[in-house]
Amino acid sequence: MDKKYEMLAEAIIDGDDEAALEATDALLNQGVAPLEIFAECIQETLNELGEQFAKLEIFLPELILASDVVSVVQTKLKPLMQATTSATNVGRIVIGTAYGDLHDIGKNMVSLMLQVNGFEVRDLGTSVEPKAFIDAAEDFDADIIAISALMLPTLPYMKDTIEMVKGNPSLAPKIKIMVGGGPVNPMWAEEVGADGYSNDALEAVTKARELVAELEKGGQKE
Amino acid sequence: MNNRARLLDVIDRSLNGPIMSEKDFDMKRVHKNIKRVVKKYHIEYTQDCFLSNDYDLMDRAWDAAVDFLASCGVYSKDTGRVIEYSEREIREIMSWAPGHLVVGEGQDAVDVYHRTLDDTKLVANMGAPVGIPVPEQYFEPVVTSYMQEPLVDIFNTPTVETMRGRTIRTRSPLEVLAGHDEWARLKGIAAKCGRPGICMQGTVISVSDVGHLSSSSWMGKGDTLAVGMICELKVDNTIMNKVADAVLHDKIIMGYADPIYGGLGGGIPGQIVLTIAEMLALYLVMFCEIPGVCPTHPLLFVNDTKEQIQICSVAYGAISRHCNLMCRLTTCLAGGCGTKTLLYEVIAVNMLCCKSGFSVSQGPRPATGVVSGNMSGLEARFQGELIRAAAKIDRQTAENVLRRCYAMYGDMIDQKPYGLPFWEVYDVSTVKPKDFWFKMYEEVKEEAITWGLPMA
Repeated sequence: MDKKYEMLAEAIIDGDDEAALEATDALLNQGVAPLEIFAECIQETLNELGEQFAKLEIFLPELILASDVVSVVQTKLKPLMQATTSATNVGRIVIGTAYGDLHDIGKNMVSLMLQVNGFEVRDLGTSVEPKAFIDAAEDFDADIIAISALMLPTLPYMKDTIEMVKGNPSLAPKIKIMVGGGPVNPMWAEEVGADGYSNDALEAVTKARELVAELEKGGQKE
Repeated sequence: MNNRARLLDVIDRSLNGPIMSEKDFDMKRVHKNIKRVVKKYHIEYTQDCFLSNDYDLMDRAWDAAVDFLASCGVYSKDTGRVIEYSEREIREIMSWAPGHLVVGEGQDAVDVYHRTLDDTKLVANMGAPVGIPVPEQYFEPVVTSYMQEPLVDIFNTPTVETMRGRTIRTRSPLEVLAGHDEWARLKGIAAKCGRPGICMQGTVISVSDVGHLSSSSWMGKGDTLAVGMICELKVDNTIMNKVADAVLHDKIIMGYADPIYGGLGGGIPGQIVLTIAEMLALYLVMFCEIPGVCPTHPLLFVNDTKEQIQICSVAYGAISRHCNLMCRLTTCLAGGCGTKTLLYEVIAVNMLCCKSGFSVSQGPRPATGVVSGNMSGLEARFQGELIRAAAKIDRQTAENVLRRCYAMYGDMIDQKPYGLPFWEVYDVSTVKPKDFWFKMYEEVKEEAITWGLPMA
């Protein structure tokens, strides 16, 4: 990473939003383009943090703080790069746990890893009804609905959500569904028609990228 | 204060505590205070051993956890408020924890004791495939394979995948029916196995409060109730409805919480504090007399990596030295049935359990507890034998055995050695282990004897 980005990268890693805004201002004053700041500093720093988390060299709170700082910086940069915003977001995802399931730590990890890797995420929280997933996905113009579950009897609601999307001709071509969590396995995911399954937060990022690429290939995402 | 009065007090606190968003609770209460107390009390694991003998660290960890819980509280998701207790209140309420309970009835009754670190009193063997999915047609033979084992003291059921061919969905009449079905079948199998009074934990299939409460009439005096806390340190009305019912009917709650290693508690020091604090919170807010908190690995989904064993060793050592809680270890292991990896892991976690002040050993849950049908009574028998053997050895021998085992399974954890389902390792009609699985068990047992475990 270029030396000029050191202050901003450090502020993201430290979870210091004030220092991050100062560093961003300094970069803008030097004439660095907002998109360059995003691609060459923010994204690279987040990737590095993601890799460190994968090796458990850093932990969830560090990721949350870094992600919060990036949100603050993004809010500042976005108006300056209207035309290029889409280049900084690799996809939009609504995420939540299946109806009846209150266990959210796994879901939170996936949500965070997706954000860290450039996805825009709307987190619907726990025990989300199938229709609420669909409404949120339409409202957010999401590419992916991601559902997590820990308890076996909540899986039918995951299946309901998939059927509601797949059975709707206007939604089916443009929204992919990925699932995960303790009782979910790749065979079950395939059986109920999910587009993707992931075993953990790292796999979720890879799978989400693949699904967005499929939508792009199919002309369903610009 | 009796439990009913205390329940009203908990409810009052959940309705009158400070209002806070969940995210603020996570970061400003949990994360910030863990960081603070880890530094203030110098919580650091500097030893290389699995079973800590750093008693000073255990004592500091206890004080850190009480300080942390007093400044953090427990979040009530439905009221959006924090249930708070002062340090003095926490210490006082914890002093009320009973050090002995009898579970089960008649000939099947079992004593559960608070245990000190190297106590020679036996850990109760809750040899059970807790919550592992099982196809409906195998439910009876699977459960029989455990209940027929004389060394299984307490049973906790797998999760049946369907009820009379129908997929069970929570918060629906099917869940209500499935809860009743689960109890009826369990009681029937227990009677057939000659264990009519064995303590059973219910109701696993009933996730929601409505499913749970409707089937609670099946619970006998000697049975116990499973209620989980939401991590980290959160409850909601679904949980508290179950708790309220249990308190009103004087039922024993074996509550649980499964924090994520690397989650809000961070690494080893923070997890030690969080594990103790969640155990205390399970008793303070959820009235759990036999609670269990086991940090889960975020990528491997087990709780027997070296770091996790070290965390439990210090955290439960601290609890054992400072209050009378009867702690339960629940084990999610990488190895599945039909693998030696599973058996080595069972040895390791039971060395931890018996030498760290635990009162109950629950599990093992083979193949991380999520692979359909992956469970058998043989590993529960093995667990019962290990508990008896471990009571006869000293701490250093247990440490040596654990090291030997870890050398055998440590590198296997991320290989997902899931082995085979029940119907491949047992003869389903006779409910006896198949020769190859029994032979593996005998070989590992022989090996354990050479490592110093006095197994029969």
